[in-house]
Amino acid sequence: MRRSKEYGEKILTPLHSITLAMVALAASAGVATEVRAAPETFNSALPVSKGNFVFRQQFLDLKASDDPSAADRNLEVRGSISVLGYGVTSDLALFGILPYLDKDLDLTMPAGQRISRSTNGIGDAQIFARYTVFQNDMRGSNFRIAPFAGLKLPTGADNDRDSFGRLPQPLQPGSGSWDPFGGVVVTWQTLDYEIDAQASYKANTEANGFEFGDEFRFDTSLQYRLLPRELGPGVPGFLYGVIEANLFHQAKNKINGTKDPNSGGTKLYLSPGLQYVTRKWIAEAIVQIPVIQDLGGTALEDDYAVRAGFRVNF
Amino acid sequence: MKTLGRIILAVFTTTWIATAAFAAGPSYRIEVAGLACPFCAYGIEKELNAIGGVERVETNIGDGTVIVTMKDGAALDEATAKQAVKDAGFTLNGFTQAAQ
Repeated sequence: MRRSKEYGEKILTPLHSITLAMVALAASAGVATEVRAAPETFNSALPVSKGNFVFRQQFLDLKASDDPSAADRNLEVRGSISVLGYGVTSDLALFGILPYLDKDLDLTMPAGQRISRSTNGIGDAQIFARYTVFQNDMRGSNFRIAPFAGLKLPTGADNDRDSFGRLPQPLQPGSGSWDPFGGVVVTWQTLDYEIDAQASYKANTEANGFEFGDEFRFDTSLQYRLLPRELGPGVPGFLYGVIEANLFHQAKNKINGTKDPNSGGTKLYLSPGLQYVTRKWIAEAIVQIPVIQDLGGTALEDDYAVRAGFRVNF
Repeated sequence: MKTLGRIILAVFTTTWIATAAFAAGPSYRIEVAGLACPFCAYGIEKELNAIGGVERVETNIGDGTVIVTMKDGAALDEATAKQAVKDAGFTLNGFTQAAQ
């Protein structure tokens, strides 16, 4: 049984293994959430008009209960993620993301008793800038490449406690660390369909004796216009069928500088969804289904994540 | 009496519509390259509506065109339209004044 200054309480060791599930949530609730039309689980390179705002609210329900350990852990995370984008110029857009998270973890102790630990509150905010470096506009289609870079801020509580003591770091609403991230997103959009791809990297830093493993993501999305079948005059609402794939790799966490073998690994999600797009608003929903989970040790595996929400232009 | 009332209403309505039509200024047909989704159309319309003297903006997403109608006495030049479309994140591909 590993112990540390921050995690010395006897019930905490099984909880180390939930790290990946929690980090997967943190990542997908942050960089993965953007405000233009197009993908539902990550960025697009589509522009935010100069001087315009775009607001997005996304609701998340993630469940993870596939536990290879005897602790029979059951994790549920509900989130409400707010995103505001602003077009400084047609090429440069600034974004801020603020999640509110509600996390519940049930597990069986070595002595056999079943316990619950939970927390809720504002999570870690993220700010980032995205700049379009290549743009090719054609009649009824466009192609764009836009790198982005930003910082995750330690705005969430990272020292919450319950009756069992201090909550393990992955269960805290915030990480306590300042974590830079960056990547590039590519969008090919036509009137009939849109394809997006994004690669991103987040370098997590240490706080409270704990360091989440660095994260690499590669995301792709295809949206196909289902309705209207034919375009007439004006600007009708578009109903898109959406299929997305999210490849997520995380290095092992470190506790007081020592790698946690029950953390890190690779996940691949396939995500079908729907999106209704009008001039002023978008309504959307998607289900993320893990198809590959190659995780370290006894890390808890995800069951699914559901995201639904809306975006508005103003 | 009812018939007379209907005639007066019809004359009034016709006069109002005709006046409104003749009060509008010139219209311009703008071709926007890159326009491919409704959410992006909003940004273009907002940027064009912010130009002084614009009465109405109508987008046809299918052919990527925007018709800008000016108020009586106002005019739109290509450079201003091009900048508005650029600020929305797209490219102006054509600018013609529609026949009055």
